[in-house]
Amino acid sequence: MTKNPTNPENEKMLNEDYLWDASGTPDPEIQRLESVLADFRHADRALVLPAERPAAPRKFRALLIPMLTLPRLAAAAAILLAASLTLFFFARPKPAPETGPAWDVANLQGAPQIGTKSIAASQAPAKLRVGQTLVTNNDSRASLSEADLGEIRLDPNSRVRLVQTDANRKRIQLDVGTIHAAIWAPPGTFVVDTPSAVAIDLGCSYTLHVSPDGSGELHTTYGWVGFHLHGRDSFIPAGAMCSTRPELGPGIPYFEDATPAFREAVVQFDSSAENSTDRSAALAKILSEARAHDALSLWHLLFRANPAERAQVYARFAMLVPPPKGVTRAGILNLDQSMLDLWWNSLGLGEISTWRFWQQSASPQTSPNTQELLQKKQSVSKP
Amino acid sequence: MAALSELGTPRSGPPAVNAVHETGGPDDALILAAQRGDRAAFGLLYARYSRMVHGILLARVPFSDVDDLVQDVFLQALPRLNALREVSRFPGWLASIARNRATDFHRRTKPIEEFDEQSASAQSDTPAPSANHSSHSSAEAHAVLDAIRSLPDAYREPLILRLVEGMSGTEIAARTGLTHGSVRVNLHRGMQQLREILGRKASPPTGGAL
Repeated sequence: MTKNPTNPENEKMLNEDYLWDASGTPDPEIQRLESVLADFRHADRALVLPAERPAAPRKFRALLIPMLTLPRLAAAAAILLAASLTLFFFARPKPAPETGPAWDVANLQGAPQIGTKSIAASQAPAKLRVGQTLVTNNDSRASLSEADLGEIRLDPNSRVRLVQTDANRKRIQLDVGTIHAAIWAPPGTFVVDTPSAVAIDLGCSYTLHVSPDGSGELHTTYGWVGFHLHGRDSFIPAGAMCSTRPELGPGIPYFEDATPAFREAVVQFDSSAENSTDRSAALAKILSEARAHDALSLWHLLFRANPAERAQVYARFAMLVPPPKGVTRAGILNLDQSMLDLWWNSLGLGEISTWRFWQQSASPQTSPNTQELLQKKQSVSKP
Repeated sequence: MAALSELGTPRSGPPAVNAVHETGGPDDALILAAQRGDRAAFGLLYARYSRMVHGILLARVPFSDVDDLVQDVFLQALPRLNALREVSRFPGWLASIARNRATDFHRRTKPIEEFDEQSASAQSDTPAPSANHSSHSSAEAHAVLDAIRSLPDAYREPLILRLVEGMSGTEIAARTGLTHGSVRVNLHRGMQQLREILGRKASPPTGGAL
């Protein structure tokens, strides 16, 4: 099929080709932007590496070896023996060395603590082992890292416990505070338990905050994250955020560049009782303010809405993002999972198979850690 | 300090490394060689990935600081390379180091200076970019860059890699570890938002100032 350049649709497609790889008909606007911005381009400056450390000079070794004569070795052995005996009799018994896999902890500021032990700024990275807790106060920050996982930074006033670390799953519990996670492990590997939801990394970097009352907020900066509690799921792609509360679990995610009215309406819908006038008003505002980009929120709204509301959501959603082949109104109103998955994939926000794989590989139920936290907050209620 | 000028730039010709490197073999072989201490291989990785790192940093920090931070990122990556068990994760791993370095940069500088690109350039010893494109004013270039930086992270990074660093969508996906679909969507949406910010219609312009 040949493209007709006079057709506006084809013109748009051609311009997208140029945006993708500079092929097709050049887009004058993009060309101009490329030209204007060319001065910022990487200038191929040479990489300067530190000099390699030379091996110990032969001369020094040649001097050292003759010094190790038999009488000197005997004297050194005697001193060593005496010191060992002294230590054996007088030194306090020490606890058995800690073993097992551990994550590196670095002091970024102040005096973060593992348990009651402070981590000095100057010391080599400390180790956080399964079951141990890393705490920062008003003035301290710390980073947690694991070679195959990524890096997690703790802001002040945060408390994190390492729950699990093995080849397939890395899990922490964030009781309170803020973490910034940059993860390069495969999607679904890194999991964070919070008092009101479980955050599952799906290939991304994000910031997660937990307040003292157990509520939380997640902002994704790259990739996407799944938020999960009691079968209630929210997916948060880059540029979006999602709140979670102990009584409600994850709320409806929304893009942070949505209109203020849209964002307020989403929050209001999440917190209003079903069949209340507040909820009806919130839904009406959501539907009137929604842009095509806000299909993210509308897709989630399909699950949160009652059947009557769902029909309204479907109508607006289908107007903004036509359902792909194989997706029918009846199927969506009946919450057919395969159709909902197809529609999600058509949004280009992430492949939902990644999430389904996680659901199959991990228990879809709330983790024991989150359950424990929920019980502490005495606020468990299935949405 | 030893300069790897011959290794750091493809223009300078291939370094004296094994045949896999010289023939532009897969990055996996380079990464494995670099893990074994082959500095030439690391230099080639720098040549292949420095544009990506530069773009990621440019999306977040003042232009005058980007070159130094690119060096920092690779200097941070070098000693940690052995900890990377799966070489296929190298692109995402390196990109994460770059994003973290940008975050660190902002934690150590006054917020007011963070994205004030024009004043940052004026205060810096580094001349404002204008040498090669005198037809465009530096102010105009900075204004466009600021507009891109005002976009969500997911859009500004691929847009800068495409419009500034000249990488194709395929290359962006390969270098950052993202899927083609994600890159395509982010480029498209980012461009739409950029057009809105710059106050232009989606149709091709007839020229003039942005």
